[in-house]
Amino acid sequence: MVAITFIQPDGASQTVTATVGDSVMQTALNNNIDGIFAECGGAMMCATCHCYVDDAWTDATGERVDGEEDMLDCAEAEMRPTSRLTCQIKVTDALDGLVVHLPEA
Amino acid sequence: MLDIPVNDTVSLADLINDPYPIYKRMRAETPVVRVAQTNRIFVTRAEHTKWIKETPEVFSSDDPMTPMKPAFQAHTLMRKDGAEHRAERMAMQASFSPKVIKTDWADLYQKLAEDYVSRLPRGETVDLFSALCGPVAARILAHMLGLEEASDDEMQRWSQRLIDGAGNFGRDPELFRKSDEANAEMNDLFARIIPRHREQPNNSAFSVMLNAANPIPMSQMYANIKIAIGGGINEPRDALATIVYGLLTNPDQLEEVKRQDAWIDAFEEGVRWVAPIQVSGRRTTQEVQIGDVLVGPGETVMTIQASANRDEAIWEDGENFNVFRAKHPHQAFGSGPHHCAGAHVARRTLGQIMLPLLFDRFPNMSLPDPDAVIWSGFGFRGPLNLPVVLN
Repeated sequence: MVAITFIQPDGASQTVTATVGDSVMQTALNNNIDGIFAECGGAMMCATCHCYVDDAWTDATGERVDGEEDMLDCAEAEMRPTSRLTCQIKVTDALDGLVVHLPEA
Repeated sequence: MLDIPVNDTVSLADLINDPYPIYKRMRAETPVVRVAQTNRIFVTRAEHTKWIKETPEVFSSDDPMTPMKPAFQAHTLMRKDGAEHRAERMAMQASFSPKVIKTDWADLYQKLAEDYVSRLPRGETVDLFSALCGPVAARILAHMLGLEEASDDEMQRWSQRLIDGAGNFGRDPELFRKSDEANAEMNDLFARIIPRHREQPNNSAFSVMLNAANPIPMSQMYANIKIAIGGGINEPRDALATIVYGLLTNPDQLEEVKRQDAWIDAFEEGVRWVAPIQVSGRRTTQEVQIGDVLVGPGETVMTIQASANRDEAIWEDGENFNVFRAKHPHQAFGSGPHHCAGAHVARRTLGQIMLPLLFDRFPNMSLPDPDAVIWSGFGFRGPLNLPVVLN
């Protein structure tokens, strides 16, 4: 099991356990994390699972995939260098302890 | 593993009239069933419809025989998969994005909504469907697409003719003649306004596509705009009418919505209860098991999101309108690569702006005779009229 911490804009944080192979988006949905809507179900066709990866974890989560940046540019909150779509981050053992921040709604 | 059961009693007329009791029974008894009179396989459970839409490799949107082709005079992104679909969709996605809704469309819609609502007469019976729901949906869409020159009536007529053509499975030549006529009118307008959008780039879909660094072919820009016209008026129109009906026939809920300012919840419940787009077709690319039955390749599978949105496995008491029910994700906007590009716009415009505005101006609006409201539709569904007294 892998632990992932979601931090809301107001600082509230929730640490949940994730299953390797799931996406961070699925993990958020499974745990009713506010701010992750994931309307398109992970097809990279909406921008409603946007997060900011904590600076300490950007290397571990890796580069954006093809097309992700165009979609992030559609998100309601500003795109930052750490912006990712959580549907495109796959949970691996290397991400145990991952911290992501949710944007202002 | 079972053969696909066949239902040879249900007719298209039954489904247009009132599909919900039929779906309820199908969910319980035959969740995957061939409906003989349509020669299509109906899938009615939420877990299956969601999975099908999220698995485009097995359930393709591409349908070489679709009447959409003659209706739109193009093979549109609605009937494409993979990279091709993505490229065409992303060409106009920015116009419908949460970001541009915030910067452009929310303020504009607020103004349009105030304008259209203020035209409604107080103290009279008004068909809200034709006096407000349709026209205001047409107007905001005209702006979003960059077609300000088109009238509300033109937008609505084009939309209806494209829809009628797209659903013309019987290949009635008259329906294609009418969609051809609409196509000719739209093509004329598009050609006329290209110079304006080139000279004054803006966030409308046409302008964004025309001025892109790597534009898609002009024929696909036209097709995209037509898809948005065909798919962007009747849904917000029907959603608005459905939500207002739901609230007026449940006055206790309406009061609570006002008290809690729960208009977004009212929006979500309305589109869950009667999804404006009820059904989406996919074609199997290979043999595949759905639930207990085996479906062969090349079959047309109808995913019935209208049914999924009332599935007992997810929703308690799903047949009823209840704004304050336990929250679960519904499938009114679909899922997967073809997830509705207008979902955000609909939420913002109807849920955050139109509903509070309308009930603020007419706090005692009433629906004296709910039975006078006629509901209709299999593919698209909503009330055909909404005679309310505005007070």
